[in-house]
Amino acid sequence: MAVTEALAVGQELPVLVKEPSQRRIDAYSGVRPRSIHTDEDWARQKGFRTTLAQGMMSTAYVSEMMTRLLGAGFVKGGTMSMAFIKPVYAGDRLTVHGVVKELRPEAGQTRVVVDVWCQNQHGEKTAVGTASGLRA
Amino acid sequence: MAEFPKLTYEALTVGETFVSDEHLVTPEDIETYAFAVEDHHPWFFGPSPFGGPVGHPTLMANQALHLRHGKYIVHAGLHAKMEFAFLQPIEPGMRVRSRGRVVDKYVRRGRQYMVTEYVTEDLAGTPLVRGQFTQMLIPEGTRHGGH
Repeated sequence: MAVTEALAVGQELPVLVKEPSQRRIDAYSGVRPRSIHTDEDWARQKGFRTTLAQGMMSTAYVSEMMTRLLGAGFVKGGTMSMAFIKPVYAGDRLTVHGVVKELRPEAGQTRVVVDVWCQNQHGEKTAVGTASGLRA
Repeated sequence: MAEFPKLTYEALTVGETFVSDEHLVTPEDIETYAFAVEDHHPWFFGPSPFGGPVGHPTLMANQALHLRHGKYIVHAGLHAKMEFAFLQPIEPGMRVRSRGRVVDKYVRRGRQYMVTEYVTEDLAGTPLVRGQFTQMLIPEGTRHGGH
């Protein structure tokens, strides 16, 4: 399942497109009252224009991208560090991006480090960070 | 009888610990997660390099993120940062739990934050995922204001 061709620093990974609908947010977060993720009135009371996707959903998107790239070397041996810098609202359309930042030897394999970010339909970055995994 | 005080910046103590209940990872958990994040990788439902099916690497992240809910009433908050190290795959049939410890709290630009390091492990104590997360507290009676 992993990409098998050679990787190079600066290489862009295939972009993922994600549309966190309210139904998917409900499935992710569990529906409950007084939640900024699933209670629209409460989200507005807290100053947001509508409900928000959990930041954690963006880490799942990055995880998908890294698993597509590295397969088992991400599932076991992967890392991720993300900062959530803008809210993702229900109904937003996100694109998930990655660019290979570093290739370094580790225990007979190669650790592939990727700059990652999510961007909304307005071109604003919503989450930024790095992820890595091992490649034989 | 356990008491659940309201979570406030003042009540929170650096060094305090949390532990979740144990959770049986089911195929339904994995399927629901796959739907939620629009990722139906075949390893979630069939053979994988680890033998049978495995869960999405971030499958149990909310168990860790919600640790403070087992001790406090949480008014509202925002997730600011998340770090993971995926050590072992999470497989259906495992019973897992998360443990956490508050390692820092701070105020920046008038906003209150708490930092928790955590591990999600099986019941034999084998670490599956380690990491750290930073959460913003939105105090009662206030608005975050969005972006």
